[in-house]
Amino acid sequence: MRILKGNPVSRGVALGKVYIYKAFKADVHESYFEAGKEEEFFRKYQDAVANAEKELDSIVTAMSESSPEKAKIFTAHIEILMDEEVQEGVKEMIFESRTMPDYAVDEVYTTFATLLEKAKDPLIAARAADLRDVRNRVLRILKGEKESNLSSLRENVIVVAHDLLPSDTATMDRNRVMGIITEVGGATSHTAIIARSYKIPALLGVADATEIMRNGDNVIMDALAGKVLLDPEKETIKEYQEKLVEYIKEERETSQYLDKIPLVASGERYSIGLNVGSTDPDENFKYVDFVGLFRTEFVYMGSEHMPTEQEQFDAYKRVLANAMGNPVTLRTLDIGGDKTLRYMVMPKEENPFLGNRALRLCLDHIDMFKTQLRAALRASAFGPLQIMFPMVGTIDDIRAAKAVVNEVKEDLRTKGIAFDEKILIGIMIEIPSIGLIADMAAKEVDFASVGTNDLTQYLHAVDRMNPAITSHYQSMSPSMFRILGRIFAEFNKAGKPISVCGELAGDHLGALVMFGLGLRKFSMNAANISRVKRTLSLFTLEETEDIAKKVQGLSTEAEVISYIKGEVDKRG
Amino acid sequence: MYAKKTELKNASGLHARPASEFVAMAKQFESKVTVQRLDDEAALPANAKSIIKILAQGLAVGTPIEIAADGPDEVEAVEKLFELVESKFGED
Repeated sequence: MRILKGNPVSRGVALGKVYIYKAFKADVHESYFEAGKEEEFFRKYQDAVANAEKELDSIVTAMSESSPEKAKIFTAHIEILMDEEVQEGVKEMIFESRTMPDYAVDEVYTTFATLLEKAKDPLIAARAADLRDVRNRVLRILKGEKESNLSSLRENVIVVAHDLLPSDTATMDRNRVMGIITEVGGATSHTAIIARSYKIPALLGVADATEIMRNGDNVIMDALAGKVLLDPEKETIKEYQEKLVEYIKEERETSQYLDKIPLVASGERYSIGLNVGSTDPDENFKYVDFVGLFRTEFVYMGSEHMPTEQEQFDAYKRVLANAMGNPVTLRTLDIGGDKTLRYMVMPKEENPFLGNRALRLCLDHIDMFKTQLRAALRASAFGPLQIMFPMVGTIDDIRAAKAVVNEVKEDLRTKGIAFDEKILIGIMIEIPSIGLIADMAAKEVDFASVGTNDLTQYLHAVDRMNPAITSHYQSMSPSMFRILGRIFAEFNKAGKPISVCGELAGDHLGALVMFGLGLRKFSMNAANISRVKRTLSLFTLEETEDIAKKVQGLSTEAEVISYIKGEVDKRG
Repeated sequence: MYAKKTELKNASGLHARPASEFVAMAKQFESKVTVQRLDDEAALPANAKSIIKILAQGLAVGTPIEIAADGPDEVEAVEKLFELVESKFGED
């Protein structure tokens, strides 16, 4: 069995036969015609444009009722086809340098597509796919070939392609396509957006997929974990068939909770937050009340050099613009441990998870820390932003970090640079030592957020990267719930906001217990929102409190999990 | 030649629908119409009647721009496009 990895941009599981899709491939060579035929060849181009417009018009008409969203893609294609600069560019090449129409079209569209690809905004860069799509349409018509697409498939298949153009995804027979695998594309590409709207599992960026797989191959596509299993064994197939049934059942029940107001059965409102780690626009911002964790590492890890203040400021501002008005909790740089930067020398440590990481490292590299804080403070003038420090172990850490913030603020004030004077400053609670003095910490900060992954690791003394001891990593242990209950109670008592942004908040069982322990702010990955909302909607406040009390008295994590599962199953 | 400066005020900037609306309106005029971003010295005036050129500018919210027109209906062209930007394209 061979496993290929990819980026799961549309969740789901699919088992089935591979269908390698190769769209019309334009074979264009640089070529010119003799003088005097300018008008003739220009007319050829104009005819092709007219035919392309006709094709597009009929697609728009066919789709405008059933799927107006997709019709818009083709309306945009007409705009591109008729674009003044494109038309002029082709005309000029035909008349001035007697270029054959196909080569002129290829040149002009490619130039513009490359131009768009360079745009910083991923949504604009993704539009390059539309240009290539329109180019292919015009070239195909120039060649006199008919439209080829995925609209008439004879059996259920998993489509494997280098890339799918918007016209491929929009016209494909969605009843026959069980999954989509492409070699290129990201989470905001057209293929990804369309796959999500059709609820077709999609894995993009699977390297060499069309080379490795063959038509008719049996594969399992796991677009939950992000992998394709080639030649799976019988047991694996069986396991996945069960997984698929389970997944479909759950999806059907939970998906309708996505846009519901988060309420428990007795009517208490709580807040759902989103965890983000890029500047990609995300439709899920509209289903949440806040961004509980904005990881800034991508700015550093995606760069070849230490990111400048301006680069960071631009990125933070963009996230604020994407967030649809939701307050954004920016976590300052959290590297060290398993995350390193290629342009920064970090001494090798015996125990990196107990070493010089996150806030400790920042306080040690004060210029780097100040640059990030300046960028964050400047961004705070453009939207509701708050700053949070990771890996805080003592009150000394809090005071040291806040002193740096004050220094940077003072500097900005002197220079007359705008920032939010009332910006909230908070901490991550992930080291037990600060959790145990949550009452004192609450006096020093404006808010806190619990990172349950690291808290589990440090409370249980289990390196979460070490595969040999995964059974010792128990985030739902009675000890976890005891310390969490204490943290929530102290912050609630102090009247300071407390949230959880670790994985336990997105685990519907964990969220249920934590609600009972007094938590009202849960920040998670988008994929978990509907499930958490659904489970919490089944319980009254009193019931969650009973459950929370009960689990703290159970002896093992296994008992805790089986007890909570039982309570959830009882209610459906 | 007539020109006016402004700043993009709608949250999504000159992308997608707003960009299409902007270009469609520019096309209603006979004059040559351009948009130039003012926060980048290297930026050249872009043909406002070309959706691709407009998109390629990557005009996000807050970007200062100059709308210029040259031709028989230049004043009306600039004023109408200016108003469209001011109206935030119907976004809040």
